[in-house]
Amino acid sequence: MRINWKSFVLSLAVLLILFPFIYLVFLSLASEWRFPEVWPSYLGFKNWVTVFGSETGLLESFFSSLLISLSVAVFSTASGFLISKAVFYHPKKRILTLLAYFPYILAPVVFAACLSFFFLKMGLFGNMTGVVVAQFIIAFPYALLFFSSFWNAKVKSYEDLVATLGGNKWQTYTKVLLPLAKGLILICFFQTFLISWFEYGLTSIIGIGKVQTLTIKVFLFIKEANYYYGALSCCLLIFPPVVLLYFNKRYVFKKLV
Amino acid sequence: MKIKKSNVSILLFVLIGVVPFAAAFIYALLYSFGVIGVANNGFTLQFWESVLASGIFFKSFLYSFIIALTAVTISVGGALWITLKFKKQLEKRFLSFIIYLPLAIPGVVTGFFTLQLFSKGGFFARISHKFGLITKASEFPDLVNDGLAFGILLSFVTMVMPFFVLLFLNVYKNERVEELSVLAQSLGANPNQIALRVFLPILIKKTWVLIVLYFIFLLGAYEVPLILGQESPQMLSVLIIQEIKQYDLDKISEGYVVAVLYTLIVSAAAIVLFLPKRKSAYAN
Amino acid sequence: MFLEVQHIVKSFGEEKVVKDLNFSLESKQTLSILGKSGCGKTTMLKTIGGLVASDSGKILLNGEDITETKPEKRNIVYLYQEDLLFPHLNAFENIAFGLRLKKIPEGLIKEEVNHMLQSLELEGQADKMPTELSGGQRQRVSFGRAISTNPSLLLLDEPFGSLDTGTRQRMQELFKKLTAEYKITSLFVTHDLKEAVLMGDQIGFMHDGILKVYEDKKDFIQDPETGVQNEIDFWGGLI
Repeated sequence: MRINWKSFVLSLAVLLILFPFIYLVFLSLASEWRFPEVWPSYLGFKNWVTVFGSETGLLESFFSSLLISLSVAVFSTASGFLISKAVFYHPKKRILTLLAYFPYILAPVVFAACLSFFFLKMGLFGNMTGVVVAQFIIAFPYALLFFSSFWNAKVKSYEDLVATLGGNKWQTYTKVLLPLAKGLILICFFQTFLISWFEYGLTSIIGIGKVQTLTIKVFLFIKEANYYYGALSCCLLIFPPVVLLYFNKRYVFKKLV
Repeated sequence: MKIKKSNVSILLFVLIGVVPFAAAFIYALLYSFGVIGVANNGFTLQFWESVLASGIFFKSFLYSFIIALTAVTISVGGALWITLKFKKQLEKRFLSFIIYLPLAIPGVVTGFFTLQLFSKGGFFARISHKFGLITKASEFPDLVNDGLAFGILLSFVTMVMPFFVLLFLNVYKNERVEELSVLAQSLGANPNQIALRVFLPILIKKTWVLIVLYFIFLLGAYEVPLILGQESPQMLSVLIIQEIKQYDLDKISEGYVVAVLYTLIVSAAAIVLFLPKRKSAYAN
Repeated sequence: MFLEVQHIVKSFGEEKVVKDLNFSLESKQTLSILGKSGCGKTTMLKTIGGLVASDSGKILLNGEDITETKPEKRNIVYLYQEDLLFPHLNAFENIAFGLRLKKIPEGLIKEEVNHMLQSLELEGQADKMPTELSGGQRQRVSFGRAISTNPSLLLLDEPFGSLDTGTRQRMQELFKKLTAEYKITSLFVTHDLKEAVLMGDQIGFMHDGILKVYEDKKDFIQDPETGVQNEIDFWGGLI
């Protein structure tokens, strides 16, 4: 009896988890699905063909999202790793850590609203560079704090050891620190990529609708009540992370442990 | 040389990590007091007074607070239950990948999906119609953009609960709760006692910082309440952005008052959470 | 004298950890230093190795003032109590690590490391990762890594502290053999009385940041502070 009860709940859970993915794909294939029909009157690849015909600019959005997210992930992971070393070896590291938590904990959209004046003044308003810079500002504290546990006494000992064996700073990084941190760097890259890939509020304010990432597109389609294209954009938004998750899942929680 | 290089790093840290936050806060503060801003002419308490008098901030804050608290409580409670009951099954290959899938869904999509399912023309309305439960779309109950924030809560729980299940499963393994439970059992504890005296305290103690952090994230959530929220009251981020984007110039300053108040509360939470010395926190 | 340490002082905040350190050491000799934990011996070694800057004083190595020299230019290797093998490299690559830093030709590296593996009695373990080695083997690899760079001076900070008694004894013998074979000058810090007497050509005793080096072992044994007399009394009392 007990086993049956558990497998029933588990099967239900699996269905619930898979349902959004299936439903969104289904919706993206549908068209002219009027209430109260339970089945759409059109089901096929019409919407997808339109996307690849780039009539809606979705493909463009996909690639600009990709470009933005890759840039943000590269910059924030690299700078987070390099700068966190000085921060977490610093005698005042507790205060510095706290300072990093302020921007980390604040809602990005509110942060962006209060920063938009400066972006306007620096000519970073409504262009891709501005969006990358703004997303970098919120992804950086994440990356920095992410590496806090890496810089411990043992890693310091490794550094000292390399120095007494005659290694210079460059060799310390390339031969020891980077290989040791490889797994963490990979997860951090993945997470900062997702922070950027999923970001909406901040992007909408700094990009003022001119930089159309996928999340912006989803909102536009919701506003237009074009749910089929909305679902299609959702599919494009979800599937890259699913692929990344598949390869990365064993790493995602490693850092928290 | 060595000292100099680390100083450059600290300088960069301040430049990227501290200056933008400080600049944003000071800007919002000055705007809220009318010192800067398009139509403002000098220091005034007018905007603060009107925000505090209208109670708009408190209403929105309380609303956000209750929603975030409810969502986190349900999520953590549910995740604990799932971990306790299903930890063995969730280690199997197929399931262990499936439970990671919800992490691939951003807030925007969750909001959109909830809307598709529960709106008056949505999936469940169609099914209800098919089964003759309703005859018109308008007869379907308000489940999105509703007063009880059902849609928002549902979205939050579906976003946060999977994360906590994964987190608890990891802590369970790494803190060797299994072994400790067996030990407790050999000392004469029954399953309920094990759950209450071993399982729960260890998991909560190791993760409470993250739980509070998620509460704060939900407090400031934007996309989901933007899609699924109602006219009034609104959650904090939605309210702030709505005010700041208004054409009524007084409203902009009032929006910054709310932004300042929100930032102060969140920063105070950060100080309480992260300033005390703690050996290891799961939130880094 | 090969190594001369003159008036080294080091404080951390208010606390003076090393007080006026003075001693010298001939080439190819081992000075063993006995001291309890917290007596300042680790700080002393790290100062000599250049990992911690001294507040004042002077260190001369082979007649050259190295007080301000960076650690990577001193040719002094500091060995921790932990073996600190690089987890991403196998035994061979761990030993070869210092040689690769110096960009020595591949053929020469192979030859030297293989010879080292033999001296360390680690034949057949070359391809094993650190987690596949026993505690004693790991410590030997760590030795090999240090010695293969041919350092002017080897600093050993309780190198056998984490090993069990049997392994410890074998490692002491092996170390004696290696120091002779590779003509090593070393400072050997330990809190084990017997080990201190066994390993050193000269013996020092460190207490509360002050190091006292004895003329010969007799003086060391007779000094009531070192605890040797206590030990003798204990064993004598049993008879």
